[in-house]
Amino acid sequence: MSLTGLLIANFTSPERIPTSPQATLWILPLMVAIVVVYKATKLSEIALRKFLKETAGLFLSILVFIVLTALVLHIIAYLISM
Amino acid sequence: MPPAPNVFFLLMVGLAGWFVPGAGYLFLGEKKRAIIIFITITLTFGIGIYIGSIGVVDPIGAKFAYIGQLMNSPAVALIGRVTTGGGYLVYGRPNEIGQIYTVISGMLNLLCVVNVIYMANLREPSPGWRF
Repeated sequence: MSLTGLLIANFTSPERIPTSPQATLWILPLMVAIVVVYKATKLSEIALRKFLKETAGLFLSILVFIVLTALVLHIIAYLISM
Repeated sequence: MPPAPNVFFLLMVGLAGWFVPGAGYLFLGEKKRAIIIFITITLTFGIGIYIGSIGVVDPIGAKFAYIGQLMNSPAVALIGRVTTGGGYLVYGRPNEIGQIYTVISGMLNLLCVVNVIYMANLREPSPGWRF
């Protein structure tokens, strides 16, 4: 199969993604995209160092919040099912 | 009194941003911002259709998601025409993740279009883009 054919084939058949806890990790690339675009629209001037710093800061703060929320929900589910 | 905004210029900037993500910023001379937004939105949409296949763009079965996906670019309508026949069915987790990625990239582009029109309203167009 040619390279072009292989590329087109990749976009015409879905990937295999099992319904597992690991599938939630697909949120991470999406978070990066949201944070990058948000910061690209908010910063008055785009300087590489400042942009990377701001992006990393926002990404980490969202990630920490998600992990904390997951922990709290997990504890609640554990207590309910005890 | 500040000069009235050039409506044609604002419209052009907004449409450019819709047709090609980030292109509106080029009109304002914001090259770095344009490149970052183009790469990020295109990549996010690309990941979405890679995971779920082009079948996630479904104008009949997923109308509301399709409206969000159309915000990426009018070119999404071409994918919609191809998938309308029902030859690219996709279900389950790949469909969910693919739709989430493609709709969110569309919403991000909408945010950029609104932002670039706002920025264009505050600024004078660069000399090369006067009408």
